[in-house]
Amino acid sequence: MTNATTTRMNAKAAAGRIALFVVLVGLSMSFLFPFLWQVAASLTTNADIDLVSRTFWPERIRWSNYLEVFDRVPLAKYFFNSVLIAGWVTILQVLTSAMAAYAFSRIEWPGREKVFLLYLATMMIPGAVLMTPNFAIVLKLGMYNSYSGLIIPAAFSAFGTFLLRQFMLTVPRSLDEAATLDGAGHWLTFWEVILPLTRPGLITLAIFAFIGNYSSFFWPLILIKDETLRTLPIGLLAFSDDYGTDIPLLMAASLLAMLPLVVLFVLLQKYLVRGIQLGAVKG
Amino acid sequence: MREPPARRLAIAWLFLAPNFAGFLVFTAGPVVFSLWMAFTDWSLVRHNELSETPIRFIGFENFRRLLAGDESEFFWSAFYNTVYLMIGIPIGIAGSLLVALALNRPIGPRTFKRRGGAAALALVIGLVSGAGAWVVTHPGPAPSSAAEMEVVADLGITDADLETAWTLQRRKANATAGLFVMVGVVVALGLGTGVVFFRTLFYLPNLLAGVALFLLWKSLYKPSGGAINVAIDGPLNAVESLVSRTPPVLWHAFGMLVWLAGTVICLWLFVVAWRKWRDGDFTLGSIVGSSLAIFTLAAVALGIGYWTVQLPARALLPTGAEALGADELGAIRAALLDSEVELSPTDLEVAMAPFGDSARPEILIDAIAAVAPNGSDRARIESIVDEFTTPTFEGYAADGLDPPRWLVDETWAKPAIIIMGVWTAIGGANMLLYLAGLSNIPEELYEAASIDGAGPWRRFWNVTWPQLAPTTFFIVIMSTIGGLQGGFEQARAMTGGKYETETLTYYLYNLAFTDEFQLGLASAVAWVMFAMIFVMTVVNYRFGSRMVAE
Repeated sequence: MTNATTTRMNAKAAAGRIALFVVLVGLSMSFLFPFLWQVAASLTTNADIDLVSRTFWPERIRWSNYLEVFDRVPLAKYFFNSVLIAGWVTILQVLTSAMAAYAFSRIEWPGREKVFLLYLATMMIPGAVLMTPNFAIVLKLGMYNSYSGLIIPAAFSAFGTFLLRQFMLTVPRSLDEAATLDGAGHWLTFWEVILPLTRPGLITLAIFAFIGNYSSFFWPLILIKDETLRTLPIGLLAFSDDYGTDIPLLMAASLLAMLPLVVLFVLLQKYLVRGIQLGAVKG
Repeated sequence: MREPPARRLAIAWLFLAPNFAGFLVFTAGPVVFSLWMAFTDWSLVRHNELSETPIRFIGFENFRRLLAGDESEFFWSAFYNTVYLMIGIPIGIAGSLLVALALNRPIGPRTFKRRGGAAALALVIGLVSGAGAWVVTHPGPAPSSAAEMEVVADLGITDADLETAWTLQRRKANATAGLFVMVGVVVALGLGTGVVFFRTLFYLPNLLAGVALFLLWKSLYKPSGGAINVAIDGPLNAVESLVSRTPPVLWHAFGMLVWLAGTVICLWLFVVAWRKWRDGDFTLGSIVGSSLAIFTLAAVALGIGYWTVQLPARALLPTGAEALGADELGAIRAALLDSEVELSPTDLEVAMAPFGDSARPEILIDAIAAVAPNGSDRARIESIVDEFTTPTFEGYAADGLDPPRWLVDETWAKPAIIIMGVWTAIGGANMLLYLAGLSNIPEELYEAASIDGAGPWRRFWNVTWPQLAPTTFFIVIMSTIGGLQGGFEQARAMTGGKYETETLTYYLYNLAFTDEFQLGLASAVAWVMFAMIFVMTVVNYRFGSRMVAE
């Protein structure tokens, strides 16, 4: 290869990289624009909204929208409900999944593989199949229109069990044997050895559980009748049905609803990304 | 472990118990329960504490009603809508792959110092050019001196108009400056963090997907004055002026050409696939790849072709149809009485009388539809009137192309949801899976290919694509399963299930959880969906098993 061709190839590669970068910046703008519009729209008045669509700039910045929206709908209550439910589901799901994963990965017992296969098999069942019977079951258990109806059915997860089992399998056997030699029982080994060592897995599952239940829609929609029990998605939908023409307030409320997830994501990004790649089985 | 087996079994089950109890009550049990429900006539309206009618076992009756009975119309229309919405899946997967390829390697300067320098420079350029743009575009203070106001008054401009124009200019100047700064920030973040910023940003919509995001898009899709229609207004006007200056026949020819080209390329892909099959060279990568490519191309080509062929007609529509004369009106009257529309002759006379011997077709249709016994006859009336309507090219592009009405239009509601879905999915879990897949490809394969003289194109098709086949395979299966169950939240939040956006899940929701609470029939829908998913997965695995030989 002569020097001239090498230079030409380098120049070509550099041009390619720059072009790629420009395309990526353009694509970024298309991802930013809806959110920019949302911020601009949430700071204006309804009369001004069409002009915001043309200029992306509110006439006068109205921070008061963010206070007014709390007067118009019990948004604080919705937040409280969503966080309460997602929080409880997360705690219970991580705990029950971790215990089950321990039984599937650290203890030898007859029938273990068969029961585990049963768990795996149900992960293939579409959610639609479970909706109607679960509704009937929850009705029968008297949990209709209540917090427990939203929390209890979501507190057990075959996916979580599977995910944590995979994490626990990577912990060396010698560690629990050492713990046993020191006289620790299974419960102590579970708490003191296995759980600390699978912390990334626990955090991953916790994020999945929290995000999934924070924005869960179908189940609260069919289960909740009282306005005071509404979660954020349901509250937002009701707000849109009732005041959908007041776009600035609706956008302010939506933005507030999205905010916790963005914060969570920025804080815990590396766990989430790893979890998605590891536990790719989740649909 | 040292404890006896019986004790170990007991301990294992103690650990398993809480999860297993929940698993039995809310997962395994319901599966069996649901299967039983699907064969009953259980409805909460008929079977509750107040009415003690027993729930009857009715065999396959629910399935018959859905697939071929009184519910089949709704079931199949929901099925059609669901499959239509799944067009977005291959497009999204292709987008995810492209983005993953672009974000696979570090971009921008390599060293920490240089990255910081480049980012700072981009930021400064962004701020300076933003300030410059503001100075150039900002209109300054509105005219206020007596002399200026006199000029304004002479031009016939009112104070209010002046105020509006100035405010608009000011806001545009602010926004333009903001845009420059924004691009500067994006470039700075991109250069400064390598790929992390882009990956995070592209993932964001996927994280937020839910009612809040759908309501945002609903506002963006607002038909008149919404941000999207404002944005496409310019391009549409350009197309319109182009159309109005071209003979329609050329546009038809162009549309046909796109159509033809799409068909030829698809056929060619089929031939390539068939040849490979014949040579026993049909790997997983090529089957998934060619079907994705065929599907995407066909969708795009059909879409563009259809739209272009329609263009002149659309441009014509507002004033294009000539008024109907006495002869046509007589023929329409006869055809209507002859048709399946059950119009009484007197009603028809009453409806048509005000028009005398000339009528505009769209007004005539409205008048006749008003006396028709039921609303669904409107389509038939329209088609009959259309038969006798000759379009002319006089009013050509007079009112121009209207932007789509998106979520409040039967034709555009589904494409609107698809566009949003692709936007969301591109940077989502699929991109992360592809990134993981790409990082697992051994570097030696690329080196070997380079030594053999393969360019980037050949390297992609001979190394990257086959190596990613298992990832693609997995993504395709999961996306199909998800797609068949999807669309509920979008439709519920954005269209309320109207405008032909009711998907299978939405249909199930309507059956089970709204007015009639028909739990039995809804369970049957769920099991039909399960059967479809099962068949698709089995088919996918059949082809997937070839991977072993690969």
